[in-house]
Amino acid sequence: MRILGIESSCDETAVAIVDGTGDNVSLVSSFIRSQIDIHEAYGGVIPEVAAREHLQMMFPMLHKAVAPNGEGIDAIAVTVGPGLAPALRVGVETAKALAYAWGKPLVPVCHLEGHIYAVWITACRVGEGLRPSPTATPQFPALCLIVSGGHTELVLMKGHGEYERLGETVDDAAGEAFDKVAKMMGLGYPGGPKVAELAQGGDRKAFDFPRAMNDNSLNFSFSGLKTSVLYMLRAHEAEMQDVKFRENIAASFEEAVVDVLVKKTRSALLRLPLSPLLERGGAPILTEAPIRSLILAGGVAANLSLRKALEVLAKEMKVSLHLPPFEFSLDNAAMIATAGYFRACEGKFADPLLVKVDPNMDIV
Amino acid sequence: MKYTTHSAEETKALAAELARTLTGGEFVALVGDLGAGKTTFAQGFVSALGSSSRVKSPTFTVMNEYKIDRQGGVSNPAISRIARIVHLDFYRFSDEKELGALELENEKRPDTVILAEWPNIFAKDVFKPDVTVTFKHAEGDTREIEVL
Repeated sequence: MRILGIESSCDETAVAIVDGTGDNVSLVSSFIRSQIDIHEAYGGVIPEVAAREHLQMMFPMLHKAVAPNGEGIDAIAVTVGPGLAPALRVGVETAKALAYAWGKPLVPVCHLEGHIYAVWITACRVGEGLRPSPTATPQFPALCLIVSGGHTELVLMKGHGEYERLGETVDDAAGEAFDKVAKMMGLGYPGGPKVAELAQGGDRKAFDFPRAMNDNSLNFSFSGLKTSVLYMLRAHEAEMQDVKFRENIAASFEEAVVDVLVKKTRSALLRLPLSPLLERGGAPILTEAPIRSLILAGGVAANLSLRKALEVLAKEMKVSLHLPPFEFSLDNAAMIATAGYFRACEGKFADPLLVKVDPNMDIV
Repeated sequence: MKYTTHSAEETKALAAELARTLTGGEFVALVGDLGAGKTTFAQGFVSALGSSSRVKSPTFTVMNEYKIDRQGGVSNPAISRIARIVHLDFYRFSDEKELGALELENEKRPDTVILAEWPNIFAKDVFKPDVTVTFKHAEGDTREIEVL
């Protein structure tokens, strides 16, 4: 099946096409607004940031992606939430109109679920050939760690579209913590990657920032860590321009975030049926079968330290690890189309005339 | 009124006290530095108004909505008129023009209380808050909070 995916939940507008056969989904094309030279479409006029910007880029991207009559497309997948209603509406109304006009089925998709499905993009079309992605297809049940600017949660995925939330942040998301620390240190945009870059040269043990929620829960908290870094920076104001100091702060902060994410993931895995040889702790979580895969999802999935630390964890816990390709960690439509493909396989379509945006949508 | 709180719990208790005085339709501005207690305050506030929603930082989501789903632990008949809370965060904004996308005019309703973090990002007085709560860091976990 060939699926057209449309995404406009918040800052990004994106359109993509994927081809799905059985469990394999390969990328045909992907367009992301922030990566397109806007001058090309507008001849030099920069649109102001507003839902209008989504609207203006939607059709130029659709023109590049698909024939005007929708030829070749079997279904349309669109993000209905979570996000900002006016932004979401651009994608949703476009998708509804296309579904209606082309007579194709419409699949509403949750943005968070889209991030999880990024790891199912198993091949990318390069020229005429297919380049396989390094990661294999995840097996169920799978444990998903969703980490982005707006979300940090641990979700048990029992099957396609079947989720149980095991834990989440009680205040700030991990991506947000990175962004705010970047701001505190005067690093530009994008903050998170700049902190990670700075961290590479630093001593991860220079500062012992607090790891919150040191309890049996699978919830996270990053707001105290953020405040801790703020106080440390204020206490060492004289050293703020010293490169070594800055690298150490970044490294120690990143270490604290990754440490917490990995520890909680490890705790979750220990409470799920796994190899009987591993030690247990906390109340067991019931599933019908042992956990086979660990999936990383969301914008922070691009963080190298996190990816490396999870590789080590996955080896220890004997589960397969699935990391999204870098280009599909941030917001994009290919992941939406992929999630849509699996929903389409189950016939989970919606009536285009009735689909509405759901700004507060959650995966569970 | 000026207050000093020594813990997140005390900040939340102060927020609950403020929540009890509202009747619906109010715009509450939360102003203060990173880590000063704005979202913590929002958590106490939302809970006191009778919502079981999980209140997380709206920095990236920009606008969170919480429905009042129980009568709450507060015996104030005025509160039962409030049906929802809209929690905004303008940290990522820089230009007033960006507000258009939010269609905030639709949110100012008698059954809604609006909590906005970082309204001071905007150069001029874009909002006319009914209440402004200002947060300042003091030593350690202590915060100085002023309610106007």
